[in-house]
Amino acid sequence: MVNNSTVDAAIHTEDLRVERGGRAVLRGLSFDVPRGQVTGLLGPSGCGKSTLMRAIVGVQARCTGVVEVLGQSAGSAALRHRVGYVTQAPSVYPDLSIRQNLRFFAAVLGADQGDVDDAIAKVDLVDYADDLVSRLSGGQEARVSLAVALLGEPELLVLDEPTVGLDPVLRRDLWALFHRLADSGVTVLVSSHVMDEADRCERLLLMRDGVIIADDTPQLLRSSTGADDIEGAFLTLVDLDREASR
Amino acid sequence: MTTVNAVLASTRAELLRLRKWPALWVMTGAWLLLNVMFVYVFNYLSYTTGSTTPRGEGIPKEALLAEMLPAAAPISAVQGLPMFGGAIMMILGALAIGSGYGWGTWKTVFTQGPSRLATTAGSLVALVLAIVAIVALTFVLDLGLSTLVAATESQTIVWPGLGDIAPALGGGVLIASMWMLGGALIGTLAKGPALGVGLGLVWVLAVENLLRGVANLLGGMDVVTDHLPGTAAGSLAGGLGAGGGTDGTPGVFTTLDTASASWLLVAYLVVFAGITAVVVRRRDLA
Ligand SMILES: Nc1ncnc2c1ncn2[C@@H]1O[C@H](COP(=O)(O)OP(=O)(O)O)[C@@H](O)[C@H]1O
Ligand SMILES: [Mg+2]
Repeated sequence: MVNNSTVDAAIHTEDLRVERGGRAVLRGLSFDVPRGQVTGLLGPSGCGKSTLMRAIVGVQARCTGVVEVLGQSAGSAALRHRVGYVTQAPSVYPDLSIRQNLRFFAAVLGADQGDVDDAIAKVDLVDYADDLVSRLSGGQEARVSLAVALLGEPELLVLDEPTVGLDPVLRRDLWALFHRLADSGVTVLVSSHVMDEADRCERLLLMRDGVIIADDTPQLLRSSTGADDIEGAFLTLVDLDREASR
Repeated sequence: MTTVNAVLASTRAELLRLRKWPALWVMTGAWLLLNVMFVYVFNYLSYTTGSTTPRGEGIPKEALLAEMLPAAAPISAVQGLPMFGGAIMMILGALAIGSGYGWGTWKTVFTQGPSRLATTAGSLVALVLAIVAIVALTFVLDLGLSTLVAATESQTIVWPGLGDIAPALGGGVLIASMWMLGGALIGTLAKGPALGVGLGLVWVLAVENLLRGVANLLGGMDVVTDHLPGTAAGSLAGGLGAGGGTDGTPGVFTTLDTASASWLLVAYLVVFAGITAVVVRRRDLA
């Protein structure tokens, strides 16, 4: 299925290609991500999810093709305040407390200092607000990064594997947060290599080896492949592709 | 945000962070401790006991005492900056700017914040302001200690005039800022603090001295060694009145006159900041 609502898409790419270290990592991606939904970018490790996200936020070198974000070319200055990006590795100061980190980033990003406590509450870290980040668990640290991304009230949130290694309760809570954000109009793009997170997304981009092999809702993906779950759908699509190229 | 507002916002943010940053307090403490030890504790011990500390030999007692009195406080506060103070400032710059690469914080700022140049400029401005505060704090501390020494030794107190304080502290800020920006540049190039700290220390404490040694043996090398950052820093301190020479403060010279030393420091400062800006601006974020 091809989504033709390019005018209104939050992200629009045409024949996006990226080379890293002499290898083609993204091999001609064309897709749209609709606004105001939670879209999952699923695929095994090394398939190019992080590279694609970097291209979307405009920090990936040697990109060719079209990448438009919120109607503008990716990485353009006007987009900085409209896009939030959380990398796979945490990106906050370990020797400051959670609140100090958020105050710092609020000041740099020109966000309201009043948003600091809101952001901490959204990621459920109120009880730890004055703890040093270096004393937090990996999952908590990742949520501090997420809180930073929420500070500027971005229209598009790009989250690179935000739920990896979290306990199931926390994972459920984070997905609930993503949906609340989407309901308020934010477009959320979440990557994961865990296929069972697929059903938490309204829309899926399945990726393998630098190529998008499916772009659909979880329901339609299952029914069109006849699989019980997304892992099954993924395997069916890979098998079909192999047969076709034989 | 306009560019000016962006620089201001990022200066404010960086000041906020620096105030809460343990590393800054540790380094400020280390600097103050070294300053007090070398200017007051060791000198006072050799003054009262006549024992042979490295600095005690060959220096008349009156000269030792004079260095510890309030009139000398402006120079006392800055004479250590060309060498060990400079090393500390270099570490400060390398840590403050380099750490952000390892922790990924620059990535966050550069993807969501104002332009890279504005945020980097803001951080560097904040660090220079921190240096102004450190130099002022050192002066106040030294003024207090020297008053104590004067009272203990029943000396009449002669306060330093503004004409002595302003050039000394201004020169100190210039020297310290030059080293700090050097550290910031290495931290940026290396995308991390460790190499910056290591290289900075080796440069400030060893390489320049080795080069000067070589220059003494080979002719023609002094054109280079006379214009090294450390020579400029040491010459400015020397020109302001810090004790140089073989038994004086390490790293203090009289190679260049005050004006050329100051201009050379300004040139290094501009070059270090300029290269940092270009690298930050053009580089792909890993
Ligand atoms: N800095 C780099 N230089 C060269 N190749 C890289 C670099 N980073 C990642 N790659 C390669 O790009 C491919 C995709 O990586 P990535 O986008 O991180 O995948 P994912 O996020 O899906 O695990 C991998 O094959 C990886 O080896
Ligand atoms: Mg990845």
